[in-house]
Amino acid sequence: MATLLINGKTHNVDVDSSTPLLWVIREHLRMTGTKFGCGVAQCGACTVHLDGQAVRSCQTTVAQAAGKKITTIEGLHPDGRHPLQVAWIAEQVPQCGYCQSGQIMSAAALLARKPNPSDQDIVDAMSGNICRCATYPRIKRAIKRAAQGV
Amino acid sequence: MTTALSRRAFLTVTTIAGVGLTIRIPLIGGPAQAAAAAAWDPNTALTITPDGIVTVHITKAEMGQGVGTALAQIVAEELEAEWKDVRVDYPTADPKFGLMLTGGSWSVNWTFDTLSRAGAAARLALLDAAAQYWKVNAADCAAERGVVRHLPTSRSIRYGDLVAKVPITKTFTEDELKKIPLKKPSEYKVVGQWLARLDIPEKTNGKAKFGIDSFLPNMAYAKVAYPPTREGGKHSAVDDSAAKKVKGYIATVNLPQLVAVVATSYEAAVKARDALKVTWDSGPNANVSTDSIFASFAKAKDDPGAAAWHEQGDVKGAMGGAARQHEATFMTDYVAHMQMEPMNCVAQVDKDGIYHLYTGSQFQTFAVGSLAAVLKVDASKIRLHQHYLGGGFGRRLEPDIMLETALIAREAKRPIKLIRSREEDLRRDFYRSATLQIVKAGLGADGKIVAWENTLVASHPGKRWGPDFVDKKGLDQFALNGADHVYDIPNQIVRAVPVETGISVGYVRAVAPNYTFFAVETFMDELAKLAGKDPLEYRLSMLGGAPRLARVLKLVAEKAGWGTPLPPNTGRGIACVSAQEKKTPTWTASVVQARVDPSNGNVHIEKITCAVDCGIVVNPDGARSQIEGSILFGVSNALKERGTIANGALVQSNFHDYQVLRMNEAPDIEVHVVPSTEFPTGLGEPGTTTVAPALSNAIFAATGARVRQVPLLPDRVLAAIRAKA
Repeated sequence: MATLLINGKTHNVDVDSSTPLLWVIREHLRMTGTKFGCGVAQCGACTVHLDGQAVRSCQTTVAQAAGKKITTIEGLHPDGRHPLQVAWIAEQVPQCGYCQSGQIMSAAALLARKPNPSDQDIVDAMSGNICRCATYPRIKRAIKRAAQGV
Repeated sequence: MTTALSRRAFLTVTTIAGVGLTIRIPLIGGPAQAAAAAAWDPNTALTITPDGIVTVHITKAEMGQGVGTALAQIVAEELEAEWKDVRVDYPTADPKFGLMLTGGSWSVNWTFDTLSRAGAAARLALLDAAAQYWKVNAADCAAERGVVRHLPTSRSIRYGDLVAKVPITKTFTEDELKKIPLKKPSEYKVVGQWLARLDIPEKTNGKAKFGIDSFLPNMAYAKVAYPPTREGGKHSAVDDSAAKKVKGYIATVNLPQLVAVVATSYEAAVKARDALKVTWDSGPNANVSTDSIFASFAKAKDDPGAAAWHEQGDVKGAMGGAARQHEATFMTDYVAHMQMEPMNCVAQVDKDGIYHLYTGSQFQTFAVGSLAAVLKVDASKIRLHQHYLGGGFGRRLEPDIMLETALIAREAKRPIKLIRSREEDLRRDFYRSATLQIVKAGLGADGKIVAWENTLVASHPGKRWGPDFVDKKGLDQFALNGADHVYDIPNQIVRAVPVETGISVGYVRAVAPNYTFFAVETFMDELAKLAGKDPLEYRLSMLGGAPRLARVLKLVAEKAGWGTPLPPNTGRGIACVSAQEKKTPTWTASVVQARVDPSNGNVHIEKITCAVDCGIVVNPDGARSQIEGSILFGVSNALKERGTIANGALVQSNFHDYQVLRMNEAPDIEVHVVPSTEFPTGLGEPGTTTVAPALSNAIFAATGARVRQVPLLPDRVLAAIRAKA
């Protein structure tokens, strides 16, 4: 049994402590915004925040997440209107959309750390998130738009 | 009320050009209406409800190309719907929708006329109903933005109110439907507008539902034990004694087709599957490798019986009489789809024996047929519930994951969720075939091409799909398209040599034109050099029959600063294509500007400029999004992606060793879309096909070294630089 604090709510789940957080969030608790892409921290689709830091939930165990504040895409903003989410729509970023929760969570951690990131900051923070549709130009533009508050 | 819009009256028959498939696309149809005050289904394309909401039924897969929005715009235009009242849904597969297939950049091209007429017919029926309601002449009524007005009296009624209050009785024969006058492009109000895509908001907040997000009551998780080879492997013995001890283990499924374990959770299923001891017979392909495959290609290329897929003029005579000849060999490696959502499915057999499949499919018609055949049930027993696709790129044309999940669900007698790991997804992929192309040309004394011969060796996916997917010679046109380029060359032949390798091939975004245009357009640069001509001018001199391609070629050259000086080791390369198919091309040309480090062969793309003429553009921003994405997919293919084979399977296993493009490697892209009123073609793929040849040509311009092997890896570039020196 593990106790997890996700998006401000406490969840008790009956899983082995070595279970990846990803599968608990997605399949046990059915918060499906967080996606499975590779299972080896190579693609970033499963990115969530642990105490505000972007982590790959496929490589984070339940034991590592216990006692920390876990934030998923569903909890990023109560109405889905985080400046990045607004910018993502304004720039019409997603194509298939599957990686975009992870992209937004990585970008949100970047902006929390660096409210006015340079182009290089954006590339450095986001190159761990793969988008096979290659929406990279629009992701860059959306992060800049959100940082500028437009 | 009865609409009496007979479905049968509006069936039409069409064919996919060049393929022996006969496909019925219902233009208009739908069930007779029982009563007013319910939803009105004038045809299979749309439903209008009394609240005024127009729901357009999207029978194409939404995999990021924005097809839902684009097709809804086409319907809304002729329907005169108010755009804010338009919604889309993705219905469960049904024969009434005709061919359900998404690929080939076909969606808008194939449905533009059909959906326009569906919208127009519904509008005319609404006008007729309003005229009857007011007892006036329909000719005095007009429809605009979801409202019918009687012009002489200024009375008006909303579409939703009409549906609720008035019997809608107008019907159309097939002939009448074909004769409905459609709008001229100058009259468009919805088509061509920069409208936001309808699927984007829910793709920013985690609410979008992909197949992997499906759950059913009492659902269990399965994991399959896959054989060590891609094709031909079989299990001979299964020992599940250790698996049974795993907490959460439910059952072992041992069928001729597969071995799987069922458990209470994904992680338990993984553990139990890993604890299975399966004895494998690796089959006949256990020694297949990249080297053995290319050796078999090299042997096959000289097959004197190779069929001519495309032929005109007298190649032999013209080649013999040419002032000089040039020949080059081009090779491309296996490419995987690597769609972000690993293949997955949820399946359930209900109490009535109906199979429910929850997943995202690009080819529902094929999937339903395949499921019915494998499960030995009637196709009416298959319900394929469509979801968003976490990337398609051709991977989700294949029904393999649905077949596995359905078989396991039947055996386990409960709903099953099957999710492949990335490693399984990659190893069980249907790859873009490796290819070998030998291109030979004869030049006249003036440098003009008088003869062209291309021998194209590759595996043809259509062979596996069945007789409907190859021509009479056994050739799959989708493994060959593009080799029949549009240059004015009087004598041409494309010899097609299909080879079976033991490695499954399928259709990967942009399909054959990825490799055919790599050879054609790189070779064209080589010939320009031999003829002493500028590559742009040389191409233009042979595009008299393709003025729209000449125009985008000139446009892209101008926008990219073609001919202006560049720093050392930096070059521009150009390529133009008639992808995806010669009969319905999207005229596309790109200039790639790249810098090469001659010490290590590293290539850095500085910029890509692309010009496109796809006819009418339905959604301009969606079009740009597709062009950007398709070009970057091409960059990933051209620079990085190399699938290699050992022991009958792909060597690579995940994103660490099968690398795809990341943000730090994505160049700037400038897109120019030519305004046009021509019939629309597609945009999902053509851009992809320009990148490898334009980049190879840029590397040549930068270094004088010719690289004829994709991906254009640093060691290959370095080898070409050294060979030149």
